[in-house]
Amino acid sequence: MRQRDELVSLVALDDVSKSVLLADDSRLEILRGITLEVGAGDHVSIVGRSGSGKSTLLNILGMLDAPTSGSVAFEGREVGRMRSGRLDRLRGDNVGFVFQQFNLLPGRTAIDNVMMPLGHAKGRMFWNRRQIAADMLERVGLGHRVEQIADKLSGGEQQRVAIARALVRRPVLILADEPTGALDIDTGASVMSLLDEVATETDAALVTITHDLHVAARARRHYRLDAGRLETADLSRAFEASTLAASVPSAPPEVIG
Amino acid sequence: MTGFLGALSDAWAEIRVHKLRVLLSLIGIAVSVGALTAVVAFSEYQRQFQAEQSDRWGGRAATVVVAVSSDDGVPVDADEFDARFSRVSERFGFSHTARISQGLILGVQLPDGIAQVPARVMDPAFSQIHRERLVEGRWFLDSDIEAMAPPVVITEPLWDRLGRVPLSQHPTLTLSGPAGGTYQVIGITPRQGFGDEELRVDLLYEAYRARVDALPADAWTQYEIWMGTGQVDEIAPVLAMDLRAGLPEGQTVTVNRSDWAAQPGALDAQATFEMITGGIAALILALGALSLINIQLVAMRQRVREIGVRRAFGASSGRVFFAVFLESLVATTVAGVIGIAIVVAVLRSEWVITSLFYGIQDIPPFPMRAALIGLLASVIVGAVSGFIPALVALRVKVIDAIRF
Repeated sequence: MRQRDELVSLVALDDVSKSVLLADDSRLEILRGITLEVGAGDHVSIVGRSGSGKSTLLNILGMLDAPTSGSVAFEGREVGRMRSGRLDRLRGDNVGFVFQQFNLLPGRTAIDNVMMPLGHAKGRMFWNRRQIAADMLERVGLGHRVEQIADKLSGGEQQRVAIARALVRRPVLILADEPTGALDIDTGASVMSLLDEVATETDAALVTITHDLHVAARARRHYRLDAGRLETADLSRAFEASTLAASVPSAPPEVIG
Repeated sequence: MTGFLGALSDAWAEIRVHKLRVLLSLIGIAVSVGALTAVVAFSEYQRQFQAEQSDRWGGRAATVVVAVSSDDGVPVDADEFDARFSRVSERFGFSHTARISQGLILGVQLPDGIAQVPARVMDPAFSQIHRERLVEGRWFLDSDIEAMAPPVVITEPLWDRLGRVPLSQHPTLTLSGPAGGTYQVIGITPRQGFGDEELRVDLLYEAYRARVDALPADAWTQYEIWMGTGQVDEIAPVLAMDLRAGLPEGQTVTVNRSDWAAQPGALDAQATFEMITGGIAALILALGALSLINIQLVAMRQRVREIGVRRAFGASSGRVFFAVFLESLVATTVAGVIGIAIVVAVLRSEWVITSLFYGIQDIPPFPMRAALIGLLASVIVGAVSGFIPALVALRVKVIDAIRF
């Protein structure tokens, strides 16, 4: 395991901006001058209102979208210059996604879903994909649901399948977009614990996008995205301002500024 | 390697998961591939059937007919030419040679008196060369030459006139004239069509010749030789040359092929039949392919999210294209194989073939060509109807598809 103090930079966003051209020829600025570095084993949360550009930021971090200006580097390599096939491989090898709506493949069993990313791998991972996927499902507590059709599982179980899928290729970066958005509070909490645990176990960096302060509070570094600008966040103030103040954890997390 | 296997397994999983959709869309493909295969196979059977029909008239491919005539119209001495033919043909070692004399008229004893009936005298090989078919009984055998009561084969109308006595009761025929006597009826040739009332008697050449001093002057004899189509072009000219060598002045020997395969354009009708029916089957196949493309395109709209998720987990655009492409290819190939298998199963039934082609004798094995054409068609349809949805899948934008 790598030590916290020798963080290796995984993804580095340097002055990244993203804008889109609207139908009336005006430009909509989604992200403005964002500089962010996520290191190996880092746990980062990004909170923000709807429409603040969270998803766009996550897309850029996950190399699914390209910035309009600025640069994105993955493990020190400039992503913007890579060809699409190489970028796909890089993403498949290193990044795992957890979505709010789970996005499991419909009609497929839990194990089929978890095997899917391994189908894009090579060598031992490809040939042993069923065993690896079964082990991963066991790890997330779904060893007894392996052959269950994913759509038939409960929300919490589906998200656990999604976590198993995100982690099965042992990615170095996990991007979670509102991972508890579709779950009740208790299930959400247990899913987040699991995600934290497994990410720590595999020494993966975890970037969580959420508007749930409790979920955000689990991270070590906190950011707020507001009108396309990224700022470090002070969660304790956010909690105070929140109507959920009563349920603030007894030991507020340390805020890294 | 893993990329290809991965794409193949993705495609197969997709087919498995959407069994009903795949099944419905593929019924059309299976039916049309089956139709195409059946048409090609039918065409082969039809060819065999027509060949057999033609063989009855002109002999099997390749039948060479040798005839002799004199320039001044005086009948040629049949025995003399027979000796010449035997001498010449001996060195060729032909397996099937038959003399056939026509133009004879014999008196046949019928219940209502003696009737003058046309007759043919022939060697046993004639029936093999001409695929003669019988309603009942059998054709002449070499051993019949020794029979005390020489055998005859008669036409069905003549059999009717004789009271249609079943051959199991060994009916006989009494002939009057030089070759008069009792003959055993061993076979009945069928009517050639509705209203065919031809009375005819077929006798063994040797048996007849033994009973008469000479063949009647108005009988004309020709010699038929059945040989391989590969040899005929080499052998026939040599045979003609040998037969003509030392031929008495004023006599002419002709050596011709009489089988259908020697006729120009013999296969044109076949090709036309195959082209028309094949065209119809291809049209059905095109319609099946269109509906498959349609279904696949609609399915693709529903699968945008899935494709986006796959892309997010490392599937390259090429891989997505290939998986969708393979999906159609695998599915249509499976459907095609099923369609072909059904057609093969049905057409392997002798009953079906003999019902469709009444009177066919040698049923050819199921033509491999038909199965291969069917398979090729299903692969092509799969490739075409997989290509368009795969292009659509290629254009899916991951971000739009996932919508965080």
